[in-house]
Amino acid sequence: MKEAQPYTWVVTREQIRAYAEASGDRNPIHLDDDAARAAGLPGVIAHGMLGMAQLANFVVGWTGDHRRLRRLRCRFSAMILPGDQITFSGRVAGEHDGLVELDLEAQNQKGERVLTKGLAEVSAS
Amino acid sequence: MSNVAGKRYPAVETTLEPEHVRAFAEAIGADPDAGVPPTYAAVYALFSTAAQLYGDEDAAVDFQHLLHSEQEFSWTRHPEVGETVVAGGRVEEDVERRNLRFLTYATSVESAGEPLCTSRMVNVIRG
Repeated sequence: MKEAQPYTWVVTREQIRAYAEASGDRNPIHLDDDAARAAGLPGVIAHGMLGMAQLANFVVGWTGDHRRLRRLRCRFSAMILPGDQITFSGRVAGEHDGLVELDLEAQNQKGERVLTKGLAEVSAS
Repeated sequence: MSNVAGKRYPAVETTLEPEHVRAFAEAIGADPDAGVPPTYAAVYALFSTAAQLYGDEDAAVDFQHLLHSEQEFSWTRHPEVGETVVAGGRVEEDVERRNLRFLTYATSVESAGEPLCTSRMVNVIRG
C-alpha cells in the first residue's frame, strides 16, 4: 500500500455549525459558548464525530474507495476547538484475512493527541 | 439515576435521502459525489437510535455533561444513497467509576434483513 497522504484539518465554528445541522447533533456545547462554559468547557467544542469524519476522510484519501473500509475506531482524547489545526497520521500495522490494518492518530498544533487508539481495517482489494 | 445496562430500544428505520447525504458530505469536506460517507453512520447507526437512550427517563442521561469518549463502526458493506436501513440499539454497559458514568451503547444495522453495520459508542458523563 502507498504512503499516507498528509491531511490537515483547520477547525472553524462555521463547520461545527454545519455539522450540527447535517448530523442532527445539536447539543448546545457545540453551538453556544455560554452553554459550553456552563458545562465546564472553555467554549464551544467540535463534535467528536466531526473529528472522526476527518479521520475517515484521511483514510479514504489514503486507501481509495470508502467501500473498502470495514472498521473504523478512535478514542476522543482531548477537546477539539475552533481555530485548531489538526494533523492526521497513520501507518500500516499489519495484514490478516485479506484486511490491511492501519494505526491512526491525530494531533493538534500544540502536539497534543486529540484522537488516539485509532484503527482502520480496509479490505486489501 | 437507575442502571439501564442491557436495556434495548425499538428499532428505528432511516432512509438515506440524497439531499441529506449530500449536505452531510459537504459539511465534513468529503466528495459529495462519492456516495454515502462512512461516518454518515453517525446518522443511520448512532443518533437515530441513541436519541431514544438520551430521551429515556429511566436512563436519566445528563446530556449537558455528556462527552463522546470512544466510537467504533464496522461494516459488512456500506449503504447506498436512497437505501432504507433499520437500527436497533442496546445499552451494553452502564457503570460508575470515580464519579464518572460510563455508558456504552451498541447498535446493529440491517438492510432488507441482512447485516450492514454495527456501532459501539462509549459516553462519559461527568457527575
